[in-house]
Amino acid sequence: MNKIVLIILILGLAVALGVVFGSAGNGGQAILNSEIRDGVQYITIDAKGGYSPKVSIAKAGIPTKLIVKTNGTYDCSASLVIRSAGFQQILPQTGETEIDIGAKNPGETLQGVCGMGMYSFAINFEDA
Amino acid sequence: MKTHTFHVTGTHCASCKILIEDVLNEHDFVNNAEVNLKTETVLIETNTNQGAEEIVTVLTEKIEPHGYMLSMEKIIQNKKSDDVIWKAIPIGLAFLVLFFMLQKSGILNLGIGGNTTPTTSFIIGLIASVSSCLAIVGGLVLSLSAKISEDNVSDTKTFILFHVGRLVSFALLGGILGLIGNAIGINFTFTAILGIVASLVMLMLGLNLVGVFAKNKITLPSGIFNFFRKIEHKTFTPLAIGFGTFFLPCGFTQSMQVAAISSGSFMSGFFIMFAFALGTLPVLAFLSFGSASFAHGKHAPLFFKSAGVVVIGLGAFALLSGLAGLGIINPVFSI
Repeated sequence: MNKIVLIILILGLAVALGVVFGSAGNGGQAILNSEIRDGVQYITIDAKGGYSPKVSIAKAGIPTKLIVKTNGTYDCSASLVIRSAGFQQILPQTGETEIDIGAKNPGETLQGVCGMGMYSFAINFEDA
Repeated sequence: MKTHTFHVTGTHCASCKILIEDVLNEHDFVNNAEVNLKTETVLIETNTNQGAEEIVTVLTEKIEPHGYMLSMEKIIQNKKSDDVIWKAIPIGLAFLVLFFMLQKSGILNLGIGGNTTPTTSFIIGLIASVSSCLAIVGGLVLSLSAKISEDNVSDTKTFILFHVGRLVSFALLGGILGLIGNAIGINFTFTAILGIVASLVMLMLGLNLVGVFAKNKITLPSGIFNFFRKIEHKTFTPLAIGFGTFFLPCGFTQSMQVAAISSGSFMSGFFIMFAFALGTLPVLAFLSFGSASFAHGKHAPLFFKSAGVVVIGLGAFALLSGLAGLGIINPVFSI
């Protein structure tokens, strides 16, 4: 009897936990965060309490640089790892870090994670 | 020489056997004591002429402070423990939901600009102690504290040593970082592997607290219990674990380490890291001394099982994050 109430409570809390983890933050809206200057594509990612935008879309086949902006960032997102680019660094607390990631093939995804692994971002490269 | 067999209650782990035998063997009229964990009995060889009941009274006095009891008759454990787990799961889950909602709310992303001074690093320490770093450092503290309190061995002294070890090693290592500057890099892979080891320890202790091991009578290799026994009995081990938390993966700790490196002198690095560790102290001290006081209260079984649920949740989170950080699996979480 009492147990049934508790089991319902457990299920409710499990769903709540799923909602907390599942929801994708800022609605997954495409934010314009890339621009091409002098034939180089610059993608800007904000790093503070996670990475924003979490998913960005960029053009393939162009030399690309990633600009990671920190602003009083002390949490995990300051310790950035981009394995495919061989990048591992603790970013300055406030500032911009430029990372050269070269030209990517269409369909390729570049993934960055913070040192502890709970924050991440992805950049999908598509045909120009 | 006579032998007596008594029932013993409170044995929940292999280390209890060692402890009870140690304590009983110290007693002058006991020639040999042997605990059988399966039957929850203790076999005592003695040369005293005292009656069995007297022996029970005298020996219970000895082991009672450690949380065990001898008796002539087998004390039937009330079946309440089965119901406790149904209360413990929602309590543990509610804590986890609140914790991760706090992470997601963005409240913790306060802007702290400018130079890192001991004051700002103290504030950052306060924030860090309720941040996702708590998943690893706090989870480890909670699981070890609950385990030590459950085994009931001089927990206060152990916790004080742990926290002192932590403060001192943060300050000293911070000073060293400030002194040698950029000479050393903090190795991501090393801290990630350490984090995975810590999360595995948490998962194991969590399962143990919830009672999975006790219920199925799975006995872990004695080496592991000897390790915990050392934690409980030695002065050095809690100090060393406090020292080790310096290297556990935590974004805030790493940022502070970088600040200490760039601070340029021993004293400035020393104070930055000391203030940071001091900032994390209130929450961590609450976790360890809080579990000690719960452990000696009447809600102890509920506390241990709830703590076990929380620790399993945090351990799983830390393990999956750590694997993602190493690039072994795709990131699972988007908090």
